[in-house]
Amino acid sequence: MHIEVQPSHTYDVSRYNILKTSLLKTLLEGANDVIIKKNHAVYFRNVSKIYNTGTVALNHFDFPVEEGEFISFLGPSGCGKSTALRMVAGLGTPTSGEVTVYGEPPEELIKNTNDIAFVFQDANLLPWRSVLDNVLLPLELRGGNKKENKQAAISVLEMVGLKDHLTSYPRQLSGGMKMRVSIARALAARPKLLLMDEPFAALDEITRQTLQMELLDIWKKEKMTVLFVTHNVYEAVFLSSKIAVMSARPGRLSSVIDVNLPYPRELGMRTHPAFSDYVDRASASLENDEKRKETV
Amino acid sequence: MAMSEVEMTKKQQALVAAGKKQKPFASTFKELYLGPIIAFILFLSLWQMIPSVLGLPHYILPKPTDVWEATVSDWSLLQEAIRITIFESVIGFFLSAVIGIGVSVLLASSKILERSIYPYAIILQTIPVVAVAPIVVIWFGAGFNSIVVISFLIGFFPVISNTLMGLNSVDKSMDELFTLYNASKWQRMWKLRIPAAMPYMMAGLKISCTLSIVGAIVGEYVAGIGGGNGGLGYAITVAAIQVKTSFLFSCGIAAAILGISFYLLVSLFSKMMLGSWHESAMKSDK
Ligand SMILES: Nc1ncnc2c1ncn2[C@@H]1O[C@H](COP(=O)(O)OP(=O)(O)OP(=O)(O)O)[C@@H](O)[C@H]1O
Ligand SMILES: [Mg+2]
Repeated sequence: MHIEVQPSHTYDVSRYNILKTSLLKTLLEGANDVIIKKNHAVYFRNVSKIYNTGTVALNHFDFPVEEGEFISFLGPSGCGKSTALRMVAGLGTPTSGEVTVYGEPPEELIKNTNDIAFVFQDANLLPWRSVLDNVLLPLELRGGNKKENKQAAISVLEMVGLKDHLTSYPRQLSGGMKMRVSIARALAARPKLLLMDEPFAALDEITRQTLQMELLDIWKKEKMTVLFVTHNVYEAVFLSSKIAVMSARPGRLSSVIDVNLPYPRELGMRTHPAFSDYVDRASASLENDEKRKETV
Repeated sequence: MAMSEVEMTKKQQALVAAGKKQKPFASTFKELYLGPIIAFILFLSLWQMIPSVLGLPHYILPKPTDVWEATVSDWSLLQEAIRITIFESVIGFFLSAVIGIGVSVLLASSKILERSIYPYAIILQTIPVVAVAPIVVIWFGAGFNSIVVISFLIGFFPVISNTLMGLNSVDKSMDELFTLYNASKWQRMWKLRIPAAMPYMMAGLKISCTLSIVGAIVGEYVAGIGGGNGGLGYAITVAAIQVKTSFLFSCGIAAAILGISFYLLVSLFSKMMLGSWHESAMKSDK
């Protein structure tokens, strides 16, 4: 039996939970050689990140993400959400600790596979490429058959409802459409893990709701794991199967909330008492941190 | 109702905007062209009067009519000079564009190369090319070759410094996107850095095209014509020696028109290259 448990400096609810679920799993499966990390899409192990400016962006961050989950990282500005997400994409390395994706370091994974996709806050489209060519980019960079690539790109654009805009250029699109193209580009290479850094923050409420629904549809259909960064409590509750609430200075995990609302989720759910309960809990968790900081 | 009021005003605004677009030609003419045309006519009349009023001889300040006469009577001379200057400067410009962009891409493809050579490119840019022109003449001989090299040198540095700046101006998150898909160095160059540098390159080309004409004219002052036919630079030298001031004016005006046309041509080319996406190219068609 192989279970990784690291000595903890402080008592930490989430760590205790990991230990509990890992043990349970191993016992239930009755397997002797189950390496727990293989069952996880992403695993943060005691990750700290100190930028060379001296900012402690993440402090002993420990968090497992199981395959197929929709996780939101919720927290105030500057608590290290982006830092954590970027490490998962191999766009930054921990100062100490390790991040693994499907049991491998992300830098290795992005070299050899299309498993990881990233959606940036601003759609980040190449202005000199048409919608279709933007979505084709990841496939083009990986090589492969041109005709098949084009088919794949068109089919994801169909999925996000942009089939009629293949030849448009980014400057001709609205903010919501740009974000759709960006999501289509991320999906084009059929990733297993979709990372999104406040993708809807710049959109109006109605567009955001539509895109949230579409995202949930796609997540179910494609059976992906999604890590979603937001500082919007409602968005986190509405989308996620689990919320990692983070707090700032230094950035760390403060609590984990399992959102046991059934999928598919509908917009009407937002007025449901259970929904409000989760919103309250998440908000309380955020506020507690603020208070604790003030007393320190 | 507040909502419908807002919509009404929006509609009205749209109508007003549409009305503006469909303005009759006469009023656009009035707004855009009438002012400059009147100013031009006033300027010409003033110029025509001043030499007579002050009693200046035509070899000090010729009247516009004198310039016109000189242009017509020496038209074959002027036309030949213009043709040769165009030829020299186009070759010079073409060389500075191709070599400038090529060298920049090569430099930018290696961090070490760029770090060690870029400072010199900046320093070299500040050397007045006219000051080294005699050396060029020693190396390439009098005449055509030297003139082209001088024209090339003068246009080369703006291209290099602009292109290098552009190649290094890539947006960070776009760059990360390429990292995420494991793009190779040259994929990054062709699919990201060069397209992103396009507006900078075009700005460099616009500077260098007018400079290449300066280079061709100055080149002839320094390098002579070496037995071949002379361009505007040569025509200007000869006219100055013979104190044919009216013809000097013709040459100067011809050089100005040449510079402007060349600039407009390169601007058109740049608009075509950037047309589909870049904002600075888009501003005018809004
Ligand atoms: N490249 C960097 N160099 C130095 N400090 C950085 C860098 N990137 C982020 N930081 C700092 O690290 C901390 C965490 O930043 P991060 O971007 O991860 O926060 P965030 O939770 O994503 O915030 P936001 O909600 O505002 O996006 C901040 O204090 C930030 O100033
Ligand atoms: Mg962020």
